[in-house]
Amino acid sequence: MPFDLRSGFRNAGPNFTIVSQPKPTLHDIVIGQASLVEHAPDAIVIIDESGVIRLVNAQTERLFGYYREELIGRPVEILIPTRLHRRHVEDRRRYAADPRVRPMGVGLELFGTRKDGREFPVEISLSPIVTGEGKFVASAIRDVTERKAFEQRLRDLNAELEDASRAKDQFLASMSHELRTPLNAIIGFTGTLLMKLPGPLNDEQERQLGIVAWSARHLLSLINDILDLAKIHSGKREMVFETVPVAQVVSDVAASHAALAADKGLELTTQVAEDCEFATTDRRSLRQILLNLTNNAIKYTQKGSVRIDVHGARRNGRSAIVLRVSDTGVGIKPEDQARLFGAFEQFDFSHLGQFDGSGLGLHLCRNLAELLGAELSVTSKYGEGSAFTLTLPRER
Amino acid sequence: MTRHGARVLVIDDNAANLELALYLLRAFGYEAEGRSDGASGLEAARSGRFGIVLTDILMPGIDGYELARRFKSDAGLSSTPLVALTAFAMGGDHERIIAAGFDGCITKPIDPHGFVAEVESYLQPTSA
Repeated sequence: MPFDLRSGFRNAGPNFTIVSQPKPTLHDIVIGQASLVEHAPDAIVIIDESGVIRLVNAQTERLFGYYREELIGRPVEILIPTRLHRRHVEDRRRYAADPRVRPMGVGLELFGTRKDGREFPVEISLSPIVTGEGKFVASAIRDVTERKAFEQRLRDLNAELEDASRAKDQFLASMSHELRTPLNAIIGFTGTLLMKLPGPLNDEQERQLGIVAWSARHLLSLINDILDLAKIHSGKREMVFETVPVAQVVSDVAASHAALAADKGLELTTQVAEDCEFATTDRRSLRQILLNLTNNAIKYTQKGSVRIDVHGARRNGRSAIVLRVSDTGVGIKPEDQARLFGAFEQFDFSHLGQFDGSGLGLHLCRNLAELLGAELSVTSKYGEGSAFTLTLPRER
Repeated sequence: MTRHGARVLVIDDNAANLELALYLLRAFGYEAEGRSDGASGLEAARSGRFGIVLTDILMPGIDGYELARRFKSDAGLSSTPLVALTAFAMGGDHERIIAAGFDGCITKPIDPHGFVAEVESYLQPTSA
């Protein structure tokens, strides 16, 4: 070899041919002063079998804060924190017994130490070099301070997000509890009065208390919807996909609304096709959607009927169950249909003499439908009725 | 003298909600007593005068969970039905409450029409 490993590049002496050769050889390109090694972005340190530094590149000087003259001929441990010297000597011995190209200290935190004593985290890859002069080990050393700091920032950020998510869950749980507590007394004592437990009521008192009771229930359903939406948006809504008896859910929903429909003189009917008995879905969400749609249908229908029909279909090549809740009610104007599934949309139902018509019910239904992998859509003719269609995949 | 043969103890730190439960129970013929904290509720329960105990969960001092723990580890009380009467209604709350040793759970806001019947459903027919 024409260069002196002991003195390094700068003190290479007359035999060191890289600078003087007009046409560099492959050899020059790899290790000369204008070479890949000298200008590599990593610090490159070559040591001999006894652990003495024989060669360093420009980045080594920058990274460790030494001139190369201060390093050449010194034990490589000069670049390593004192507390790690013992381990390093052992590691070197082990590497010498099995020299091959590999990263150093896999799974270990590695550190370098600068001339001024400051430590920094490093990543090192090792390559054995066998020459006529003996065996050497080249290490490419990369300062990972920034990457480590970045990783730490990510970890901190993750922890913060987890904390925030937990705090939000806690807040929602508390809000739910705190809103329900006074509603209990409102709904409860309105109920005792309407049950006439304390004594008789005149007609007007009864009518007004009925409004209080209805409004309190409305408020409760809003609170429930808000909490459900919050859970859906934070991914905390638990979905249990299992075999659900669709026909059973439909008949339960109809039964729970039979009295309401009968009070308004409406016919409430259900029809479930034979092959639509079961679906793999989340029972609670399916039930919640159907309850909401049925309740709306009854609410916005003055006379005629509300029907729940279930039949099979294929959607996008998959077997589906189509649940359709249709009514002969007021219908929805074409311009209102698009925003029907938005949150807190206002619609003009003044002709019904009802003071609601804003809310979250359908918005929640559409969110739930998405979680089920289902589609919820509406067709309606203003003045003639509406039909809400839930297209539910049979299998998940 | 109670129409149904079981005295009911209600424990709730919220005065309005305690009054509501007591009012409904008495209106339907039950003899009912109220306590507004877990410690005095537990003490009253230990008198052995009650066929069923309803308790709020979120209370200062001894909360419903702690009360359930002491209640169900008390040989004299463990067979008395203990029912949570709580505004905790989020997913998982019901399971948590039953796992804590409660025999049942009634969620607030209660349905005033069905409340007493629901309490009755937790009473064993043989209870003194």
